Amino acid sequence: MALDETLEEMAGEYVLGTLSAAERLEAQTLLSQNSDFASAVDQWTERLAPLLLAIPGVAPPPALRQRILASIGSAASSGNVVDLARRVTFWRGVSLAASAIAAALALFILFKPMPQEAPGNYVAVLQPEGPGPAFVAAIDLKDGTISVKRLGSQAEAGKTYELWAVGGGRAAPQSLGVIDASLKIPTEHLGKVDPATLGDTVFAISLEPQGGSPTGAPTGPVLYTGKLVATE
Amino acid sequence: MAIVLSFMPIAVGIMDSELRQLLAHVAEADKAAFGRLYDLVSGRLFGVIGRILPRAELAEDALQETFVRIWQRAKSYDETIASPMAWMATIARNQAIDLRRRSAEKLSAASSEIDESLADSAPDPEALAGQAGELRQLKDCLQRLPDERQQMVLLAYRQGFTREELAERFKRPVTTVKTLLRRSLIALKECLDGAR
Repeated sequence: MALDETLEEMAGEYVLGTLSAAERLEAQTLLSQNSDFASAVDQWTERLAPLLLAIPGVAPPPALRQRILASIGSAASSGNVVDLARRVTFWRGVSLAASAIAAALALFILFKPMPQEAPGNYVAVLQPEGPGPAFVAAIDLKDGTISVKRLGSQAEAGKTYELWAVGGGRAAPQSLGVIDASLKIPTEHLGKVDPATLGDTVFAISLEPQGGSPTGAPTGPVLYTGKLVATE
Repeated sequence: MAIVLSFMPIAVGIMDSELRQLLAHVAEADKAAFGRLYDLVSGRLFGVIGRILPRAELAEDALQETFVRIWQRAKSYDETIASPMAWMATIARNQAIDLRRRSAEKLSAASSEIDESLADSAPDPEALAGQAGELRQLKDCLQRLPDERQQMVLLAYRQGFTREELAERFKRPVTTVKTLLRRSLIALKECLDGAR
C-alpha cells in the first residue's frame, strides 16, 4: 500500500536522522502503530545503507580489541529475542530508536516493578503524547504473567485506567483489566501467546469510569499506547 | 589501475561469505569467531563511526557498543534482508548517532574537516561486498540531485548533521532545509524505484 507522501518523507527523515525531537517521538509512536510506516522506515534503512560502505576504514587503537572482547563476556547472546516477527527484530533492534528505548528500560529497572533478571521477559513502555513514559508493562513468559506498573499519573477522582490489547489478530480491543497502582494478570488472558502476534499487539491504556469500561470496549480517551520490546 | 580493479569480484565473494559464516558462529556465542569478525570489520566500522564522532574516546565507546550489539543481535541477522557489512555498518552508524545526540556533541559546521562527496569515496573491495550494484545505483541517483542537496543528504546520513547544523552550514533557514531534505528523499526514492 502506498504511504501518504508526508509519512513517506517522515520515514525517510527518521532514517536520515534529521527529525526534530517532537517529530521523532511522533515517528516512534507511528512505528509501533502503523505497519506501513514501519516498513517504509525499513526500506529507507536498506536504501541508504550502501552509502556507509563507501566510507574508508580507519584502524581503531590496538588496545580497544582487548577491551571489546572482554566486554562481551558479560553480555549474553540474546537467544530469546528472535521469535518476534523477523524483519521487525532485524532493523528495529538496531534502529535509532534504541536510545529512547534504553531510557525507558532504565526506568523499568529502576522501579523494579516485577520479576526481573528472568529471560523470556517482554516489556512495553506506554508513553503519553507529552514527554516520558508513565506506565511500564512487562510480560514474563516463564511465570506466565503480565504486570503493569503506574509511574505517577494518578487518574482523576472517580476514574480508573484500563489496559487493552489491540491488533495481533484480535477483532476488537480486548480488556486486560483495570490498573490501580499496579496490575498483574496471567498471560492466559491474552489468549494464545504466540510471539509472532505478540509483536503485532499494541497495548493501550484508556481512562474509564471507576471499575472499568461498562461496555467491554474502551469508552474514554486512549491515553497511552505501546508495543512490546524484548528485554535483553 | 584497471588491472587491480579486476581482482575485486573475487575478493568480494570471499569476504561476504566469510562474514556470513562468522556471524552464524557469533550467533552461537563463539568468541573466537567474534575475535576474527572484529579483526575483519572493526576498521570499516570505526571509519563509519569516526565521521559522526570525531572525538576519539566517544568513537571508541561507540565501537564497543556496536560490537556488543552485534554479539547480542547476531541471531537476528538475516542475509535475505541485508549484506553482513550493510547490517553491521548500520548498527555502527546508529550507535554513533545515538551517542552524538546524547552527549550533545555539536559538530559545528566550521569544525568539520571532511567534505562529503561521492567522488572521494571510492570503496575498497571489501566495502562492495554484496552491494556493488546497489551502491552504484544510489550514487547515480544522488548525483542527479543539485550539489547542495547531495551534500545535505550525505552530511546528515554519514556525519549525523541535524537540520539546525545543516541550516548553519548552508546559511539557510531550518524550514528550507527540511523542505530540501524531503524533496531530495522523494526524488531519490523515485529514481531508485525507477531503476528497479
